[in-house]
Amino acid sequence: MPARSPSRRALLLLLPAAVPTVAVLGAALTVAVLQSTGLMPVVGEPDPTTAGYRALAGDRALLDGLRVSLGIAAASTLLALAVGLGTALLARTTRLGGRLLRAAAAATVPVPHLVGAAAIGLLLADSGLAARALAVEPGDFPPLVGGPWWVAVVAEYAWKESAFVALVVLAALAAGERELDEAAATLGAGPWQRLRRVALPLAAPSAVAAGGVTFAYVLGSYDVAWLLGRSYPEPLPVLAFRLWTDVDLARREQALAVAVVTTALALASLLATAALLARTARATGRTAT
Amino acid sequence: MTRAAPLRRRAGVAPRVALALVWLALPLVPLVLWAAADRWSFPALLPTAWGLTGWRQAADQGAAAALGRSVLLGLVVAALATPAGAMAGRALALHRVPARRLVEGLLLAPVAVPPFAVVMGLTTLTLRAGIPGTVALVCVLTVSALPYTVFVMRSAYTGYDVGVEEEARTLGAGPRAVLLRVHLPLAAPALATAAFLAFLVGWSDYVVTLVVGGGQLVTLPMLVGALSSATGNDAVVAAVSLTAVLPPLLLLVATALLARRGAR
Amino acid sequence: MPRRRPLPLTAALLGSVLVVSSCAGAPEPGAGGGAAPTAPDRPWDEVLAEADGQTVDLWMYGGDQQGNAYVDDVLAPAAAERGVTLRRVPVTDTADAVNRVLSELQAGTDDGSVDLVWVNGENFATGRQADAWLCDWTGQLPSMEFVDPEDPLLTSDFGTPVDGCEAPWHKAQFVLAYDSADVADPPTSIEGLLEWAEANPGRFTYPAPPDFTGSAFLRQVLYAVAGGPEEVPAEFDRAALDELGPRLFDRLAGLAPSLWRGGDTYPRDLAALEELYAGDQVDLTMTYGPATLAQQVASGALPASTRVLPLEEGTLGNASFLAVPVNAGDQPGALVVADLALSPEQQLAKADPATWGQYPVVDLDRVPEDVRAGFAALPASPVVPPFEELSGGADPELGAGWVTPLEDGWRSDVLGAG
Repeated sequence: MPARSPSRRALLLLLPAAVPTVAVLGAALTVAVLQSTGLMPVVGEPDPTTAGYRALAGDRALLDGLRVSLGIAAASTLLALAVGLGTALLARTTRLGGRLLRAAAAATVPVPHLVGAAAIGLLLADSGLAARALAVEPGDFPPLVGGPWWVAVVAEYAWKESAFVALVVLAALAAGERELDEAAATLGAGPWQRLRRVALPLAAPSAVAAGGVTFAYVLGSYDVAWLLGRSYPEPLPVLAFRLWTDVDLARREQALAVAVVTTALALASLLATAALLARTARATGRTAT
Repeated sequence: MTRAAPLRRRAGVAPRVALALVWLALPLVPLVLWAAADRWSFPALLPTAWGLTGWRQAADQGAAAALGRSVLLGLVVAALATPAGAMAGRALALHRVPARRLVEGLLLAPVAVPPFAVVMGLTTLTLRAGIPGTVALVCVLTVSALPYTVFVMRSAYTGYDVGVEEEARTLGAGPRAVLLRVHLPLAAPALATAAFLAFLVGWSDYVVTLVVGGGQLVTLPMLVGALSSATGNDAVVAAVSLTAVLPPLLLLVATALLARRGAR
Repeated sequence: MPRRRPLPLTAALLGSVLVVSSCAGAPEPGAGGGAAPTAPDRPWDEVLAEADGQTVDLWMYGGDQQGNAYVDDVLAPAAAERGVTLRRVPVTDTADAVNRVLSELQAGTDDGSVDLVWVNGENFATGRQADAWLCDWTGQLPSMEFVDPEDPLLTSDFGTPVDGCEAPWHKAQFVLAYDSADVADPPTSIEGLLEWAEANPGRFTYPAPPDFTGSAFLRQVLYAVAGGPEEVPAEFDRAALDELGPRLFDRLAGLAPSLWRGGDTYPRDLAALEELYAGDQVDLTMTYGPATLAQQVASGALPASTRVLPLEEGTLGNASFLAVPVNAGDQPGALVVADLALSPEQQLAKADPATWGQYPVVDLDRVPEDVRAGFAALPASPVVPPFEELSGGADPELGAGWVTPLEDGWRSDVLGAG
């Protein structure tokens, strides 16, 4: 069949995934932008306005929400990276332990985040398992759930995402570490040197990528912060949902403005990750040569 | 053995592995305990009365129907996202794709766009067009699942030998036979992984179902959300939560076993 | 009371329906239902005849075990005697039922699956905005003769005029309760309560609004800081909020450090507050359903020394109602059940704390002699004083428009200030 050029065939194969993606994301984001700028009002005539954004910018709720959203995402990502990377590096040093850790990490993947949140709630609430195990009176137990420091929320994300980071890093390490590591060992490199010179550079790109994905995910995720958080300040998705369901339909435009802001932040964080990845790739390229 | 580490370092590994295992497993412990508790008054470390109250309450709350809906939603998303992802993955791995980086970025984009933002925009549109909410739900979830299926299948096809298909063709096999007898069996393990991940996207979703269904479409996560946002439901929350964890976990084990058998 | 969950699961759809209806050129939401569909005026015998053999689906909050038992074991058999099968459909949030009605209306269904809804003020107001309730029908009910037509609690529901669009079912009274073993000298006013809380740090808290009970407490304190219910306009008023809001929120933000856990966290709902009270972490609790208080003390869930706090200025009172959707499939049957539920016999049966303990909406001066005697013979509770005493200085509820702005203000200026 000489008729089709290879790239035409590739295009045909790409269509079933690309068309829905472009259609859904394009339509949704267009509507979000149009509606948040008054060009597609719920009631009445279109009237271009930045009122939704200005109302939000003047409102403490958005700025506080921005602060708490970024804080939760940063803390969760850093914890998940530290624990996940540690777990992955640990898993490669022992055969049985490695298999157990891999299985345990894989087993957390099918746990829906909301179920994870319910579980963390049962663990960290005032009268939860942790308070029981430590024999602390509920009144004296720190307010981890619904408290001012969002501990339970960060713990849930860190828990699920550390497993994700560990799996991603393990997959990347599996690709090429063993030979390099053995070569380094034969050349007389000690364990610490091998960790620093072989394992970490190999793990770095995947860890950076996983961290970026985690950050963007946490930033845009609703359920955990809704269930385990407090009602002020509200993380951006929680704020958006409350505005969206408000009886006052004008608030819907503000909700979509929050959605646009959140999307922009998530996109920016992934672009930053991509830039960082490119730099890491160059850096590791240098070490390898 | 080149990897033999000093004995002292070995000895330090076991506690650290144990610690990491505790970190990964601990959150699920209260779920298991509460699901088997009739009563668990405060200072007690273990339930004060064991029993199945939580499961009975879960049944009363319609957990069975919710389970059915969740399974259906997961299956529909998997059925749509897996073949589309496989085709795109094959194109990316085996074909010359114009503007490759743009295409890849585009197919990855759903990871970067928060689902709540997508669904809020889309619902406005489907409501105006009179399209049922469930269509918007399936569309958004399928698109969210596509990055996973595309990139799982791309890495699978990267290690795939197209020569085998050509050989079959020279031996006289038609396109159908090549697909059914050669291509699909070889891609099966990766397809299973991709389908599993896509299933999880539909199975785990909360916020998209919440926005689209407005509480009408009660899936397992919706039930978990409704029950756990009120006080005093601990046993039933645990039972419904386990109902939402166990089936995919069994599926995971089954997929792993199948993959191992396939590898032999 | 039909409860409102902290975060309504279903508000989303509700909003969507409003969007669609406004796109379709329906009256703008908030216009207040100028064209509410009304029930055909016909003799009651005709309604009874049409109702015979119908099955009525009563959608109601399903989290109240006593209420469920009353409907299943007392009301349903009585309805069967009138030829109507009564089926109770439990919902976790009354808004679910309202949303179901709105989406069926949107889909143009005439034979709706919801025949009767136990509504509270907020959901009633939402349904009225969308003209979802059948109106002008309560006048047809024979049992309405036992109701005082001038009773302000029954002519306006959270500020929305009732206009015969829903039939009264129970009355409720907001009460605060204290443990008399711990509080020797109970405060007698809301201001006194706040001062008591400051003098006894860590021994008082309230459920975080938008919890239903916490939100009621907010309105109760608003009346106190404003200097009485007459100082707050019943209909929501931006200028009044701008003037009174800061006083309310400053008072509560100033109180926060003296609350349980220094106001760092609040119980997320009434059940959480009751857990704290039962565990002697705090000395006071509160509820909009005092009958449950008596029940919980009787069952041992709350300490026997629990007493209702007598407040000089009175407390919030409201009534809850049964509403019939315009597209109810079994409308005559629904009217028959609403009439039955309002009958003096059913109101008496329901008022028994052993059955459900809901306060009657019928006027005791208008009911037959034997029913009045029955009410008089109801067991007196050591915990909760009789309704006449409780409702003595009943404060009217604020309009539904107040609820959200007050909750938002509390969120940012009290919780956010901490």
